[in-house]
Order: sequence, then structure tokens, then C-alpha cells
Amino acid sequence: MTEAFWTRFRDGRGVWPAVPAFVFLAIFFIAPMGVLFSFGFTEIERGQVQENGFTLRYLTDTLSDDLFWWVWWKSFYIGTLSTLLCFLLAYPLAYLYSESGRRMRLLILVLTISPLLTSAIVRTYAWLVILGGRRGVINSTLIELGLIERPFRMLNTDFAVIIGMTQVHLPFMVLPLITVLAARDRNMEAASLGMGASRLSTFFRIVVPLSMPGIVAGLTIVFALSYTNFIIPQLLGGGGFTTLAVQVYEQIVVILDWSKGAMLALLLLGSCFVFILMIGLAGNRVMRWSVKETVE
Amino acid sequence: MMDADVAPARGARGPALASVWADRLGFFVIWTLAGFALLLLIAPSLIVVMISFTETAYITFPPQGFTFEWYADLFSRQQIVESAVTSLRISLWSTTIALLLAVPAAFSLVRGRYPGKTFAGALIVAPQMIPGMVIGVALLFFGAYISFRQSDLMLVLGLTVFCLPFAVRLVMAQLQLLNPALEEASLSLGATKKRTFVQITLRQIVPAIVAGAAFVFIESFDNLTVALFTASPRARPLAVELYNLVQFDSSPMVAALSSLEILLAFVVMLVLGRTIGLERLAK
Repeated sequence: MTEAFWTRFRDGRGVWPAVPAFVFLAIFFIAPMGVLFSFGFTEIERGQVQENGFTLRYLTDTLSDDLFWWVWWKSFYIGTLSTLLCFLLAYPLAYLYSESGRRMRLLILVLTISPLLTSAIVRTYAWLVILGGRRGVINSTLIELGLIERPFRMLNTDFAVIIGMTQVHLPFMVLPLITVLAARDRNMEAASLGMGASRLSTFFRIVVPLSMPGIVAGLTIVFALSYTNFIIPQLLGGGGFTTLAVQVYEQIVVILDWSKGAMLALLLLGSCFVFILMIGLAGNRVMRWSVKETVE
Repeated sequence: MMDADVAPARGARGPALASVWADRLGFFVIWTLAGFALLLLIAPSLIVVMISFTETAYITFPPQGFTFEWYADLFSRQQIVESAVTSLRISLWSTTIALLLAVPAAFSLVRGRYPGKTFAGALIVAPQMIPGMVIGVALLFFGAYISFRQSDLMLVLGLTVFCLPFAVRLVMAQLQLLNPALEEASLSLGATKKRTFVQITLRQIVPAIVAGAAFVFIESFDNLTVALFTASPRARPLAVELYNLVQFDSSPMVAALSSLEILLAFVVMLVLGRTIGLERLAK
């Protein structure tokens, strides 16, 4: 090998070391995404693409279907509620991390990262065990304590899906919050406390606004994950429970209507991006507003 | 606009009594929520591990007695063992391919100087913004277009796309931390460029490569969203097998299998902690 080769590799001067990755993504990611897009606008019969098959039929059919809007609303509402619940739990935990010593920090990190590395099915399965029927953990405990006589119906409800999603996606909210909260500039808090503000007021007016980038990152990731998750609704929501993501799965794998499935997938992806963009814009607004508020 | 309790005048005597109580109550709520979050993170896994040892033939909590019977049962089921082997093989392939693509790409993205680098970086981490399901569906449709069927190969390709961004970002983060003075010192002390690259540069990013491998491996091994659409129906990976078991089998054997996956997650976490540290993973 020539000297020049190693110099170029070490310095990475140039695009070429990244070229294999680009080619790979172009073939196995970009091209498939293009095919997915085109399938939403193509007539397909028995897995065969038809000649001059361009059609807007799937788009107009889907958008004029009341069922689609109902399912979409379900996705949106489940995704939003579980994202907010995630935030409500993750923020205090991330704050606790930022205020803790080395050992407590390690404990929180281990407890946050280990579920992240554990299969989502395993963690959803845990909820089947906890919420499920008479022998479920919650019901059997309540019956044992004599608090209730007949088991609550907890599985196959919206509640089950929301709590399952919250637990499975919690680490994705905690980690970005930990990053911003642990690295935050503490002088502003000291100044606020020194000027007589209460701790609570300092928390809401200094700490929370300072952590806005982490909040936006966490909300974005968790909303995207919850909105597009089709496993948890299927396992914890029961047979009749459906969201947009579940519909995509059923159209493609069960009903085998690929064009409809492709169109639903595109609408799922597109609407997800719109919501993510809205979260980002709202975050910017709040950040600017809170800076103004504090300064004035 | 300022509330009464923010006014600076009270500084000397400390805040008013009411505000002290508001503080206590407020922080009591905050710490309670934090505790609840910790409980929510750990309890499900703990419960699964506990019930995997029950002597009853159905899942029950609290577990009754203590037995390894369900773990033995697990290994006696040929279908599960076979799918575990399939998953292992597939994950090793996707890990290898992802790293072979990611390491050079990370070098280029960190140290390269060329127009459009920002765009190139965005393109390489783009799959991270697409749900696994959509990556899987897209690959399935693309395959139909070119008569390429669901298979181990298609699954490996899908998982590689899905995991590539993680690997690239881990290696990039490590490269950004390197001190260029070490490489310059090596060169000026007379080492060849090849030797400098292998012994100084590469050696320093080994932790990130190991961490990346561990991460890609576990993500591939556990992945269901890509696998449901791309895996061969004949040789199902463990995640798909488990997905079916969870829905239709109420034997504690499923809890035993789940416990083994939890154990695997801890092994991977140990590797990550030892190589790049868990704090780094948070970023």
C-alpha cells in the first residue's frame, strides 16, 4: 500500500471512504422508499404492477374514508397521551439524575439503558402479565388484599396501550433530558435563588426553560415512536384495537392490499413528520417566550 | 412581570413561610414522580424474571415455588432453538456489514473536507428518522419489484439499514474526541503512516467499534418491526417467534425466554459500560 493511501484514509480527506455506505443506502434504503412511494399511486393486482397504472385512487379513497380519520385520531390521541405521560415521568427522573452523586447517577443510567437494550416484545409481554386477567399482578394483588372482588378489565383497553407505550419509550425521553440537565449552567439558578426566588419558582423559570432543547428532542423521538408503533396496540389493545400503524401492518401482511398499505404508510410517515415539525416550532416559540419573560 | 416571591427584598430573611411549603410540596411531587419512573423502568423486567421460576403451569404472580423447569423446557423446543440460531446468524451478518460500512464513513464524515459534507452526514443517519416498519415494508415492496423474496438476506439488509446510523454516530463521536497531537507525534517520531493509522488512530477508536458492534448486534437480535416484513417465513428469527408465543402461549416458558433476553441486554450493557461508558450512550 502506498503512503498516500494511508494518509488519505487517516485524514478521511475526501468522500470516498463514505461511498460504500452511500451506495448501500441508495440501493437498499432510498430506492425501496421510492418504490414504496410509487406503490401508493399504482394499480397492483396479485403482486404484479399493472401497465399505465398511475392512479390517485388510493389517495382519494383513503382521505374520503371516515374510518381512516377515526383510526388516525386514535393514533394521534394514543401517541400524544403516552408522550405527555412519558415526559411527566422522565423529567423528574432526569432532574434527579442531574442533582445526584456518582452512585445514584450510575443506578439511574443502568435502569434507563437496560430496558432500552431489552427487546420491546419482552417489555410488552411484562405488561400482559401485569395487567392480564384474574392472575395478572395488579388484579391478584388487589383481590388478595380484599380491596376488590372481581378483577378489573385492564388489558385490551386504551389505558393498557398508553401505559405500555409509556414504559417502553420512557428511556428515549430520559436520555436527552439527562444530557441537557446534567450539562446545564448552574450559575443562573444560583443567581435566581440568591435574589430571593423560591426553589420551585427557580425550577420552573430557570431549569425547565434551559432544558428546552432536550425537551424538544425527547418529545419528538417519543411521539414518533408511539405514533408509529404497531406492536403494543396489537398486544395490549386486543383484537378490535386499531391505529394507523396497525392498519399498515394489516393491509400489507394480512389483507395483502399493498397499494392501500403503501398509501397508509406514506400518510403515517408524512403526518408524523408534520407533527415533529410542529413540536420543534412550538419548542422554539416557548424558548423565545420564556427568555423574554425572564429578562423582563 | 414578577411574582411576589421573586422580589429581591426578602433575601435577607429568606422566602416567606407559604413559599417554603409550596417548595416542599412541589419537590415532594417531583421526587415522587422520579421514583415512580424508576419503578416503571425496572418492575416489568423484574416481574418477568420472577415468574419464570414459578412451579405452576401458568403465569402467576407472586410465583409459587422455585424451578428451572421452564428453562429446560425452552431448550427442548426445537423451533425456539432453531430460531435463536437463525437470529444469531442474521445479527452477526448485519453487525459485520454495518460496521464495515460505518467505520470508513465515520472517518470521512469527521475528518473529510469536501462540499456537501453536512448533507452527506444527514443522508447517512436518515434511516434513523424512518420507523423500522416503513424500512421493512419499503424493502419488501422493492424486493417484489425486482423478484427478490423475503429471506435471511433481505432481513440482513433491512437490519443493516436500520442500524447503520447508530454505528456511524458512535464511531463519529469517538473520532471527534481524538487528540490529533498523538498521530502527529507518532509520525514525527518516524512511524510510517500505515503504522500510525493502525496503532494510533484505529486503536483509539476500538472502544467505539466494540460498542457499536454490541449495540447493532442487540438491536438486530431484538428487532421485530423490520423482521415481520422481511424475514423468510420458513426460518423465523427469534423476535418473530417470541411475538407469536407472547400472543398464543401462556406457559411460563415464555417468561423464561424473556428472562434470557433480559440477561443478554445486561451483557451488552456491561460491554457498553466498559468500552465507551454509559454516560456517552446518553448522547
